Amino acid sequence: MFYVTMFFQYMSQYMKTRLEYRADLVVEMISDLLNQTVNLVFILVVFGHTQFLSGWSRDEIIFIYGFFLIPFALFSSFFNIWDFNERYIVKGEMDRILTRPIHSLFQVILERMELESLFGVVTGLVIVMYAGTSLNLSINWYDPFLFILFAIGGALAYAAIFIAIASIGFWSDAKTSIMPMMYNIGNYGRYPVDIYNKVIRFLLTWVLPFAFVGVYPAAYFLGKKEWYAFSFATPLIGIIFFMLAILIWNKGVRKYRGAGN
Amino acid sequence: MNNAIEVSQLRKEFKSYSSRTGLKGAFRDLLTRNYKIVPAVNDINFTVKQGEMVAYIGENGAGKSTTIKMLTGILEPTSGKLRVNGMNPHREREKFTRTIGVVFGQRSQLWWDIAVQESFRLLKKVYKVSDEQYNEHMGHVIKTLDIGPLLDKPVRKLSLGQRMRCELAAALIHNPPLLFLDEPTIGLDVLVKLKIREFLKEINEKYNTTILLTTHDLGDIEALCNRVVMLDEGKIVYDGELDALKNNWAEEKEIHFQFMNHVNLSELNSLPLQFSTDWEYDEKNQTYIANIKGEDENISQLISAVVSHFKIKDVKIHETSIEEIVRNIYEKGMN
Ligand SMILES: Nc1ncnc2c1ncn2[C@@H]1O[C@H](COP(=O)(O)OP(=O)(O)O)[C@@H](O)[C@H]1O
Ligand SMILES: [Mg+2]
Repeated sequence: MFYVTMFFQYMSQYMKTRLEYRADLVVEMISDLLNQTVNLVFILVVFGHTQFLSGWSRDEIIFIYGFFLIPFALFSSFFNIWDFNERYIVKGEMDRILTRPIHSLFQVILERMELESLFGVVTGLVIVMYAGTSLNLSINWYDPFLFILFAIGGALAYAAIFIAIASIGFWSDAKTSIMPMMYNIGNYGRYPVDIYNKVIRFLLTWVLPFAFVGVYPAAYFLGKKEWYAFSFATPLIGIIFFMLAILIWNKGVRKYRGAGN
Repeated sequence: MNNAIEVSQLRKEFKSYSSRTGLKGAFRDLLTRNYKIVPAVNDINFTVKQGEMVAYIGENGAGKSTTIKMLTGILEPTSGKLRVNGMNPHREREKFTRTIGVVFGQRSQLWWDIAVQESFRLLKKVYKVSDEQYNEHMGHVIKTLDIGPLLDKPVRKLSLGQRMRCELAAALIHNPPLLFLDEPTIGLDVLVKLKIREFLKEINEKYNTTILLTTHDLGDIEALCNRVVMLDEGKIVYDGELDALKNNWAEEKEIHFQFMNHVNLSELNSLPLQFSTDWEYDEKNQTYIANIKGEDENISQLISAVVSHFKIKDVKIHETSIEEIVRNIYEKGMN
């Protein structure tokens, strides 16, 4: 309960600060939108020639992309801690976090949230609805609930990977380029994994579970029965990886050395 | 609970990496890096009672900040026992941090971009302080520290002195029984220093707040602390009263005079005084320096004797710094 209160306290502070710089906000939203359009155009161009890719139609691929945008937006809004090492460890901001009576990861998330990224949820929904309509997908009454559940599961899986990687900073202060690399690998999750070879598919499922952010959950709504097991595992995978990530984080905090002088 | 802080055999080691020379060395560094283990805090013991004000001093790199970071739950000790407010700071961190206040002079504890009062408002929620408690306690703090006019400014726009007063107020929002201050007066001008000292003394009297502070300013210690714990290379080399420390290791006081007219050293030496005074002449600055020992009384006697015999241009009293005391302890040994 205390954590919910604190979430809204930080959020209202965030809104206040953001609204003072309205221009920035608009620019950011436009650049997000542009980015998403480029990705969509890329898919359209690739599928301009071939209608099918390993048994997936163009509209199905677009549906997966649209779905992917939703957990990705949730992730970007709350877990976008790519600069954690630089900001909190090298500069020693973690000192301040650790003298406050709230779980350290929760504080970092509250301080780094970027709610404008939630706009991606809208873009994602529009794309999903467009692709869903042209595919004539039938909708059960419980599908919207599963949709939300799967989107949250995917966001947790995505977040878990980034939390675990941010935690590396507690052990080693060497600059790494892992973060940007992860963003690239993350993109693989929005294409059907059976277009890749076995090793990559295994990696994207069990090591860096990016496939659970896009293809696997989306496959359920596309009625791909052979993938259902993976689809329904999405929330579970999300929670398991997220808990593992928090364990790694908590272990890391004990190794925190503070900024030397 | 009588003891605010109990520390035994507390130790913190850091790995310090060194790189090898040459191209071959660089390649070997890639595989295994050379490192030494350096004890920043080396098996120290001390206890602080509730309500005490203790100065924790030592040269740069002595391990003061590292100790404070362990006491506040930021760093986990390498070994040793640690109880602060009856808790293990690092293990019970979230419960523990409700019972302490922390100020680091070198690093802001406030959010950089938001107005001071927004920071206060957020911290009030973080520490679950009720409106009545806040208004009663913070109203007074804000008035005493004179930060009312600063409240609607973002922290990044404040001067150092303004910021430090706000930091102090922020650390006290939940009125903690124990306060850690790491160089709270560094870089501040005299008036702000005085205000902060006065405020700390008042808080201590009013709430019996325990205060552990590090400083390089002997004035801070004289104004606030009876007890001094001195650290050197991670070991405690002195734990006792300030007076005893000063009497044993502070060199005689130096008083610097500049005169309007020419004065002979022999004239100065023959001034009628009840205690012995060593006079020197510093040619470069055209300054006469009196070295005296003993009571502070003697200073005013000396100055009034000089003033009544000669016309003076300038007087300066040179305080022994903590660094000089540490150096003296080194030269003369600890006994
Ligand atoms: N994060 C760190 N990593 C490596 N060495 C450190 C770190 N923090 C402090 N040290 C070393 O520990 C020693 C004590 O530092 P510190 O506690 O900051 O001293 P003080 O506060 O007394 O100036 C110094 O030699 C310093 O270089
Ligand atoms: Mg220090």
